[in-house]
Amino acid sequence: MNTFLTDKNRAVRRAVRAFCEREIAPVARQIDQEASFPWEVADKMGRLGYFGIQAPKALDGAELDTVSYVLIIEEISRASGGLGLCVTVHNSVAVAPLLAFGTEAQKQRWIPPLARGEKIGAFCLTEPNAGSDASGIEATALKDGDHYCVNAGKVLVTNGGIADLCLIFARTDPKAGRRGISVIVAERGTPGFSVGDLEDLCGMRANPVSSIRLTDCRIPVENRLGREGMGLAIGLAALDTGRIGIAAQAVGIAQAALEESVRYAKARRQFGVPIARHQSIQQMIADMATDLDAARLMVLRAAVRRDRGEPFSQASAMAKLHASEAAMRITDQAVQIHGGYGYSKAYPVERYWRDARVTRIYEGTSEIHRMVIARGVLGD
Amino acid sequence: MNIVCCLKSVLLAAPERQVVRTADLSDLNPFDRPVLETALRLREETGGCITALSMGPPAAADALRQALALGADRAVLLCDRALAGADTLATSTALAAAVARLLPYDLLLFGTRTSDSDTGQVGPQTAVRLGLPLVTWVHALERTASGFVAERRADGFRERFAVTLPAAMTIHPAAVTPRDETLGGIDAAYEHGVIETWGLEALGCDPAEVGEAGSPTRVVSLAKKTRDRKCELLTGAGEEVAEALVRTLADRGLIG
Repeated sequence: MNTFLTDKNRAVRRAVRAFCEREIAPVARQIDQEASFPWEVADKMGRLGYFGIQAPKALDGAELDTVSYVLIIEEISRASGGLGLCVTVHNSVAVAPLLAFGTEAQKQRWIPPLARGEKIGAFCLTEPNAGSDASGIEATALKDGDHYCVNAGKVLVTNGGIADLCLIFARTDPKAGRRGISVIVAERGTPGFSVGDLEDLCGMRANPVSSIRLTDCRIPVENRLGREGMGLAIGLAALDTGRIGIAAQAVGIAQAALEESVRYAKARRQFGVPIARHQSIQQMIADMATDLDAARLMVLRAAVRRDRGEPFSQASAMAKLHASEAAMRITDQAVQIHGGYGYSKAYPVERYWRDARVTRIYEGTSEIHRMVIARGVLGD
Repeated sequence: MNIVCCLKSVLLAAPERQVVRTADLSDLNPFDRPVLETALRLREETGGCITALSMGPPAAADALRQALALGADRAVLLCDRALAGADTLATSTALAAAVARLLPYDLLLFGTRTSDSDTGQVGPQTAVRLGLPLVTWVHALERTASGFVAERRADGFRERFAVTLPAAMTIHPAAVTPRDETLGGIDAAYEHGVIETWGLEALGCDPAEVGEAGSPTRVVSLAKKTRDRKCELLTGAGEEVAEALVRTLADRGLIG
């Protein structure tokens, strides 16, 4: 399993695992049940570099490779899916596109506080009528002198309740269709910027997912990321990277589910023996471990391709599709192995099951991923 | 203040009872983390240089990289086939030879013990070899004009010693809460960190005094101790159970 890992990757994983087991695991159940964001832990993570994993050192980042990045997301998600989500979204669809498409001045201004975790980033694409069909967004950013007047109603924004910096996808040219969309960086506190109530979600409850509304919000032109009309291209590029993170998150959740299942199967006795001795349980454990291993290898492959500068869009789509579907199967089997207790909040597997469910939906549903993958395979 | 921290790469597991020192199965001795933390805090106050020193196979370099990631300035690994199989005495001979080449230093720090062999001897033996004053189980340090007042906590006592420098100390595991490596620190340690590797020649040691040849003790065999455990369930009302528990523990001499 260590085929792809360098000594540095292993050192990163060891350090992150130790931190997560000490700082996150003990509060994971509570932050899920109370749907609260653990600021104290997040502050520590910020000081250790978790919010600028791949940002350059000159901009206060840790400048790690993508393989390290996925190991970090896997480890955090193994302890808490909701916190893993916060970190992966911040790094991959907020910091990464700012680094890839920002001007030098924009990077100098925005990246250091984001990389230190003093500011949290969010990606605001989804609207009530635009999800899988991103080109259907209705938000507008109309130029008015050296400002844009932005009106947007964004929903289901990961990190929405705590975000300081939001990448808003809006139409700068309402007549230009897909090519009329741009990315405007909106900062919390700008007049007209408001955060809606937190969503009461099934899983990932530690993450403050909310709506974000911009009403006649005047944002300087220098806050536009990339050229006018580049919005969808920026979004899709960001999601290519983002998907590797979501896939890593699914792997982390599934890993936790497998570990709990093994522990439980060895301890729980029925018919006079630990249930791990029953063939039906062994079959489930074997399927879970195999499914998980394949998912992890696919995630690492996508990460390695990105690190090597090779095209990774297809690899990342496949990794996200397989890892999220595998996480669903694995967490479902974990609940099954736990029997009635698996359905109880007294055990963590029901949380893994709830957390895993959304990985098949966000940053591109499984169905959209199959569409993208098929297009690549069929050469359309 | 120049500080030398002696660290050990410890074994985390021996699958199939084979002792194989690979990076995945080794880690920085957890009792050495407070040592590095103590050194880092002293450096923050006084400046100077922290050298991390270890003896071990090439895989032990990982523990030194952890030290670099935490903020050590320099890392030296004593690595030579002739050093293999050393007991604590032979280890202290090699460490003392290395420390003598790291002059000038003010403090020589050790953990109190290691998680994989737990003798607690290497620190004191090395200090004796170097003729340094030694305080063990140091819980707190207070700087004075000529050195430190070191508070030692052991056996239920607090002892305070005035120490002049250079001196050797073993650091109490609870003296300080060790920091975590930053991700940027790990990256820098692996991308730019240098592990100086010193062999027997660089140390100038007599091969007969180090490694297995220089070890008066040998591990003859190693076997896992099995512990017989049994579970007893006390039932009844809360107070009765508490009383019965106290009586049972007292009868067995476990509480006084």
